[in-house]
Amino acid sequence: MPDTHFYRYDDYDRTLVSERVDQFRDQVRRRLAGELTEEQFKPLRLHNGLYLQLHAYMLRIAIPYGTLSSRQLRKLADISRKYDRGYGHFTTRQNLQLNWIKLEDAPDALAALAEVDMHAMQTSGNCIRNVTADHYAGAAIDEIEDPRIWAEIVRQWSTLHPEFTFLPRKFKIAITGSPNDRAAVRVHDIGLRLWRNQQGEVGFEVIVGGGLGRTPMIGKTLREFLPKDELLAYLEATLRVYNRYGRRDNLYKARIKILVHEVGVEKMREEVEAEYAATRDGLRLPAGTIEAIARQFAPPDLPPRPATAGRVEAQRLSDPDFALWLKSNVAPHRVPGYAIVTASLKPAGSPPGDASATQMEGIADITEAYSQAELRVSHEQNLIFPHVAVEDLPQVYRSLAALGFAEANVGKITDIIACPGLDYCALANARSIPVAQRISNHFASLARQHDIGDLKIKISGCINACGHHHVGHIGILGVDRNGVELYQISLGGDVDFGRTALGTILGPAVTADKVVETVDAIVTTYLDAREDGERFVDTYRRIGAQPFKEKVYGPL
Amino acid sequence: MAKNLTGDLQVASANRLVDGIVVWLDEAGQWTDRLENAAVARDKRNSEILLDRARAEAFTVIDPFLVAVTEDDDGTVEPLSLREKIRASGLTFDAIAADAVRYA
Repeated sequence: MPDTHFYRYDDYDRTLVSERVDQFRDQVRRRLAGELTEEQFKPLRLHNGLYLQLHAYMLRIAIPYGTLSSRQLRKLADISRKYDRGYGHFTTRQNLQLNWIKLEDAPDALAALAEVDMHAMQTSGNCIRNVTADHYAGAAIDEIEDPRIWAEIVRQWSTLHPEFTFLPRKFKIAITGSPNDRAAVRVHDIGLRLWRNQQGEVGFEVIVGGGLGRTPMIGKTLREFLPKDELLAYLEATLRVYNRYGRRDNLYKARIKILVHEVGVEKMREEVEAEYAATRDGLRLPAGTIEAIARQFAPPDLPPRPATAGRVEAQRLSDPDFALWLKSNVAPHRVPGYAIVTASLKPAGSPPGDASATQMEGIADITEAYSQAELRVSHEQNLIFPHVAVEDLPQVYRSLAALGFAEANVGKITDIIACPGLDYCALANARSIPVAQRISNHFASLARQHDIGDLKIKISGCINACGHHHVGHIGILGVDRNGVELYQISLGGDVDFGRTALGTILGPAVTADKVVETVDAIVTTYLDAREDGERFVDTYRRIGAQPFKEKVYGPL
Repeated sequence: MAKNLTGDLQVASANRLVDGIVVWLDEAGQWTDRLENAAVARDKRNSEILLDRARAEAFTVIDPFLVAVTEDDDGTVEPLSLREKIRASGLTFDAIAADAVRYA
């Protein structure tokens, strides 16, 4: 069985990761022996993705551009069983977090990761973080080019880059190769969108200064069209300008979005282009290097098949839940007769994005049997099988149902993004997961969910917005007011398909026990007002906030 | 009846270095994973002393700090803040861990 259709580590990568494990093992030894203080050790562990949360250490494992082999997923399951509590949390940055790692076990966990060409470097700290990409990459019907080739190039360039290891603040890059953005590129420090110009050339739109968190901003176009082979030099110029002018005096104003906002995108462009003009020839990748990496992302051999299959149609007609699943969890593939399948990690009432070791192994089995031994993690905290033959859909559905991951809710009201919140996170002010669970249980009926249609709820337990609440159709932000958890509701956010918008706060925050009825009132208002074919967010844009306010808070 | 709504009662807490779990300082100056065994300071002066003791015993823990608590008539101690209640009691939902291997 082929291991992957994506980048495979070479000796250089393996040596780098292996040496890093050895270094960290020695650092942990010295910390446990009292030879390093916590102040000395903390940056070292964070550089290896090891945080201290409320109850335990948390290891954040990088999943580059959200792509995993089944072998890697099996190893993650194994690590979670051996060194954690038998489950993990897939995050909005396509990473995996293990919440109960012991410090003394962390080097062994990292060594186990290294066995499958994985690590936890640059999942913390003021560096270039794990590069994210469209989770349909290499399979999407609307794709111009596979963005993971460039995500991998950026990964190699940015890994332990000495100039960009101590930036003013963390730096997140996302890449999409499709006109229909599924990677949220406009809410990243740098977003890259591959597109084809009128001359038929493919290059990048470079978007800068997007982000969520305390000060949400939609990114602005820094360069309309950048030839692909100039990417690294242009990124380097941009990072260099940020490194020079980004604010280091105030943690809350240190992200590049604040710099772009304060100086304006025109001035930012002027500075970047000046830096670029002086340095552009120093970092242009040879065509052979790009081609060598691109070859590793060569699509799997998928002979075209019939676009429909009799048994799929038969089950669709006899099994309403399967019919709904086909509608919401199955997307068209670039090769006729294949499909992209999303396994929903949001079964009713479950913590969004969590999977047990057994479930991970079950997913690995499915990827090996039906999807070229490859899968993806989406920023919406689901897992994707990129290459499934249409005729295999009934078996995949059955296998997922056995794991509890066949909920036909992708893009629906229970496909909730939620950060770990105050149950785990040292930064959180309020809980997220229990709120998500209550909403999920309330709207569990699949028929009702599909009647409501596309509606994305995103929940964050603090202003850092790991749950992306600013861009939720319904955004929910947990706040602490005098020791009481309150939840601020915003409406109208969006991040899909280039329609990026930030939500607007509806009114006063509500108590935890009122969140479900508030969401229900919002949904009811939408259902009463919607016109044919309107999604929730379309109706909201047409009628504005007032009807929703009146329903939630009474006549104003 | 719960006492100390003004936060006069304090315990010293930290996370254990070796595994990160939540611990409290007991009367003997040992770190314990049982809140009911924590030493309780009953006024500001004793809270300062407790924190000094905790810092002096910080070789095996990370960043000791004071936690405001209440104490029932039967002596049961409970943190005031939700964050500290969660630190003391664990997750407020059932983790997806039906097959989890719970380590000791």
